[in-house]
Amino acid sequence: MGKADADETELVQLLVAGDRPAFERIYRKHNAALIRVATGIVASRATAEEVAQDTWIAVLKNVASFEGRSSLAGWIFSILINKARSRAAREGRFVSFDGEGEDDNLAAAFDGRGRWKDMPDLWEEVTPERILAGRSVMDHVAAAIETLPAAQRSVIILRAQQGLEAEEVCEILGISEGNMRVLLHRARLAIRTALDGLM
Amino acid sequence: MLSCKEVATRASALIDGELSTWEALQIRLHLAMCKGCDRFVGQIRTTRDLTETIAAPEPLDEADNGRISAILSQLDEGKQQGG
Ligand SMILES: [Zn+2]
Repeated sequence: MGKADADETELVQLLVAGDRPAFERIYRKHNAALIRVATGIVASRATAEEVAQDTWIAVLKNVASFEGRSSLAGWIFSILINKARSRAAREGRFVSFDGEGEDDNLAAAFDGRGRWKDMPDLWEEVTPERILAGRSVMDHVAAAIETLPAAQRSVIILRAQQGLEAEEVCEILGISEGNMRVLLHRARLAIRTALDGLM
Repeated sequence: MLSCKEVATRASALIDGELSTWEALQIRLHLAMCKGCDRFVGQIRTTRDLTETIAAPEPLDEADNGRISAILSQLDEGKQQGG
């Protein structure tokens, strides 16, 4: 089955057979991320939940024809992106993933000769569990991701959190690898700035 | 020598191991002499690690179970209509 590993092959067979526990497992693994990616593309959270729901129906309807040319997660997210984009088009929204027109938020940090205006702080002991301003660092990271533009948000969720291969992310979003790296860097800059404000 | 701005632009590429040996060496030379950039690269590394720390999936609640049942029942209907 190409890139799919043995566990994935078994999971696919269970899904084809309509096995509810297998479906619950994969739903639990990806549903929140599906909604978070879709929320960046369609107008509202409610619509994003509908798009995720439609995606799962399409996944189960078509899983018998899944050939393992991508990972199962990659295939599921490509279905989601297509559904979210056509939904956005019906809403009269155009969503581009090339990140054009988005700037990084760091330009103002340097003087005319490209030197730091203010010395960056030394971050000590920034662990996921540490509490800053009443919330865990993990919660702050999640909140910062929610505010990213669609392209940066999709790249960071697919690549960093769902662990898809770089080439899969590029194919799903229709962007070049160079473009993906720029988006990933900008997403990290934005999250870093959000955290830095709390330190 | 690279400016701090140029180093900051390449911070992700550096920590993701995507630079050529020569480019990485130029940046490491800068970092050895520039505390600001050294700290900044550390911040980006921490940020990367945090974004790759995946929160444990939420347990399924009642609403999820309802949605899962709805999804599975739609499929059963489709199969009955088809066959
Ligand atoms: Zn510097």
